[in-house]
Amino acid sequence: MADPFPEVRPNRLWGLSRLVPHLALFAAIIALWEVSVRAGLITSIMIPRPSAIGAAIVDLYFVTGTIWPHFFVTLTEAVVGFLIGAGIAIALAVGSSLSDPFKRYVTPYAIVLNVTPGIALTPIIIAWFGFGMGSKMALAAVISFFPIFVNTLTGLTQPDGEREELFRSLGASHVQIFWKLRVPSALPLMFAGLKIGLTTALIGAVVAEFAQATHGVGVLMNRFSFQLNMGASIATLLSMTLIGLILFYTMEFLDDRTVFWRREERRAAASRARARAWKRRTGK
Amino acid sequence: MAATAISRGMPRSGMSTGMRRILTHGGIFVALILAWEVGARTGFLDPLFFPKPSAILASFWRIYFVQGNIWYHLYVSLGLVFAGFAAGSILGIALGSLVGFNSLVRRFIKPYVIVLEATPRIAVAPLLIAALGFGAQSKIAIIMLVCFFAPFINTLSGVVNVNEEKLELFKSLGASKMQILRKLVLPEAVPVIMAGERLALTAALSGVLVAEFIQRDQGIGSLILVYTRNLNMASAFACIFTLTIVGFLIFKGMEILDRRIAFWNHEDGMARVGALRKGRWAKQAEA
Amino acid sequence: MGQATAAQVSEAVVSGSSVGKTFANGTVVALDDANFSIEKGSFISLVGPSGCGKSTLLRLIAGLIEPTSGALHLHGTRVDGPRQDVAMMFQRATLLEWRTAVENVLLPTEMRGKVTSADRDRAMELLKLVGLGDFAFSFPAQLSGGMQQRVALARLLQTGADVLLLDEPFGALDEFTRERLNIELLRIVGEIGATTIFVTHNISEAIFLADQVYVMTPRPGRIARVIDVPLARPRELSVQLSPEFNHLVEEARVTLGAL
Repeated sequence: MADPFPEVRPNRLWGLSRLVPHLALFAAIIALWEVSVRAGLITSIMIPRPSAIGAAIVDLYFVTGTIWPHFFVTLTEAVVGFLIGAGIAIALAVGSSLSDPFKRYVTPYAIVLNVTPGIALTPIIIAWFGFGMGSKMALAAVISFFPIFVNTLTGLTQPDGEREELFRSLGASHVQIFWKLRVPSALPLMFAGLKIGLTTALIGAVVAEFAQATHGVGVLMNRFSFQLNMGASIATLLSMTLIGLILFYTMEFLDDRTVFWRREERRAAASRARARAWKRRTGK
Repeated sequence: MAATAISRGMPRSGMSTGMRRILTHGGIFVALILAWEVGARTGFLDPLFFPKPSAILASFWRIYFVQGNIWYHLYVSLGLVFAGFAAGSILGIALGSLVGFNSLVRRFIKPYVIVLEATPRIAVAPLLIAALGFGAQSKIAIIMLVCFFAPFINTLSGVVNVNEEKLELFKSLGASKMQILRKLVLPEAVPVIMAGERLALTAALSGVLVAEFIQRDQGIGSLILVYTRNLNMASAFACIFTLTIVGFLIFKGMEILDRRIAFWNHEDGMARVGALRKGRWAKQAEA
Repeated sequence: MGQATAAQVSEAVVSGSSVGKTFANGTVVALDDANFSIEKGSFISLVGPSGCGKSTLLRLIAGLIEPTSGALHLHGTRVDGPRQDVAMMFQRATLLEWRTAVENVLLPTEMRGKVTSADRDRAMELLKLVGLGDFAFSFPAQLSGGMQQRVALARLLQTGADVLLLDEPFGALDEFTRERLNIELLRIVGEIGATTIFVTHNISEAIFLADQVYVMTPRPGRIARVIDVPLARPRELSVQLSPEFNHLVEEARVTLGAL
């Protein structure tokens, strides 16, 4: 996907000198916002005061702790739905990459699934899987399927003529070529697909909660919005952001560790680890 | 390897491999549909999960031609989709370019973009509906919101990631900022922007559906909801397949648009524009 | 240069009789009626412009493709697929970026079965031989182009094959690195007594390295001429300035119609 911040690598937002201007800007924005609302420049019905949002956050998280069960419900729905969707997607992609007929049979159905807006299936999925967490996981799985499928398949079938020739010249079997060449070179693309899939799984879980649910941050969002409790609504929205960030950075971490050879710091660490392992094995 | 490839490609007498494949696929599909029909009729398959294909077809007939109620709902939903898409994506492109050219803003905006990216933007729907009230205005607001992000990010990226060497070339030729913008940055950014637009249009379609699920007034989302509530699964499926067709048309439409606009990435596009320019050149030479 | 005689065939390590290769149902004649016989321990260069069939010939010897006509023999037996007594090195290093240098060198051994500690020692020794002993645990992305090709060379030697095929292995590198690596290559193959076939489009390089140069011409691809290179070994870079050398270059150029 597009990279809009090419110069800011890596994400060293942690250095204090870097952090201060950002914090200052943030504080300024919040202050300006608070003042504008109090002075009546912005109607507080649509856009609440930051202090109201802050109060709601404190209340929901620490005082009443209302949000915690809902937080974990949505998190679980997104993760489990993602795992199901990813499992099926990867299995089908692997099958398609190994067998041409399989690929030809699966692809039309995958394309149909792709062009249909998965969200449209929400009422049907709720009718099928009920009002509980199951339907949310199902929708999450359905929506996250395609990006993972297409990325994994592209990764596994990307043309790699020279290296394939190398393996063949060494007398490698198909199995060896698959595991030692195709799979590792597919990992970067696969992880790109997984990242997209995880984000869409969260969307699926939340949308299903909007339609019909008793627990989850989507439910809270609905409730607070229609009570016109804007502070709490936005606090809930920020909770969704938090879930999204947790999911995103978890996937980033996995990506970083698995596809270690793409980043300089990881390469150096991996080099050292391999050297140590070698010494242990050969005693030299 | 080449030898086996040659021997494998021997066509059987009669039809080409392409034709045979289509027939095989078609045959399997028809067989599945028949099995489904039989299964549903004999009660083997639960009608809730597997409405009879014949019932689905009957629904198609009914909602498209007999009652014709789907046309209105399609019109309503798609109208909102395109209105919101146009507004939201243009805003995204405009802001994306502005931020792209301003390195100071770009520096500070990164954390907010990350936060925005992690948030499921569609989740703001109830908020907007509560704030702006039921009706088309909140639906359009939701669509604009979901349509904004991808074009914004992609335009920003396209503007920022201009090829270094080409930039050096332009500077060495003494190009002004305006010239660099018009003749280098914009054309270079076009493919990425197109990709962002494609994502936005898909998001718009999802956006209108979510809005309609919540508001439950009109539009194809509401239709699906109502049919499902009444356990009229056949009609619900008919609506879903309608959306599949809509989605497919959008997909193809974007592809055609991409071929025309970013012609230099496609063989036939280059051939077409090449001939066009050749003609134009000849005319200029005559004048 | 003519047909291989029976006596020569029995001595020859690599030989081909009337080898032809066509693609696209016979419309593209990549190689036409190639006859050759290569003695053990010799260094052969294949030189010619694009489309002369040099890479095709190399792949035929490697067993990666089958001839449309004629046959190739390696160590007396017919070539009908990749085999363990011949190994190939490609123009791009084709290292696996997720493996360290030494793990890349061990790839051939892995393909054939379990990796023993003897194999590991050998891999390390080969890396030292190509001058990369200190970089055994570096990843390809941490190595320069020249270093990557040296790892590929070590991997080539790890196969234990005594017939080495190299397809413009240093073509993507700058001239200075290329010359250095060529000298390294000559030293190494001389030490282990390998039979080497080297493809290049650079006439000077071809003559500098080889005992015999097969000058190939395109459309259809064929071996137009075999030029013997009786220059003394070990070869010094300065030999390229000698009149004998330039006479050989002239011969090659005339054959290629480039003079």
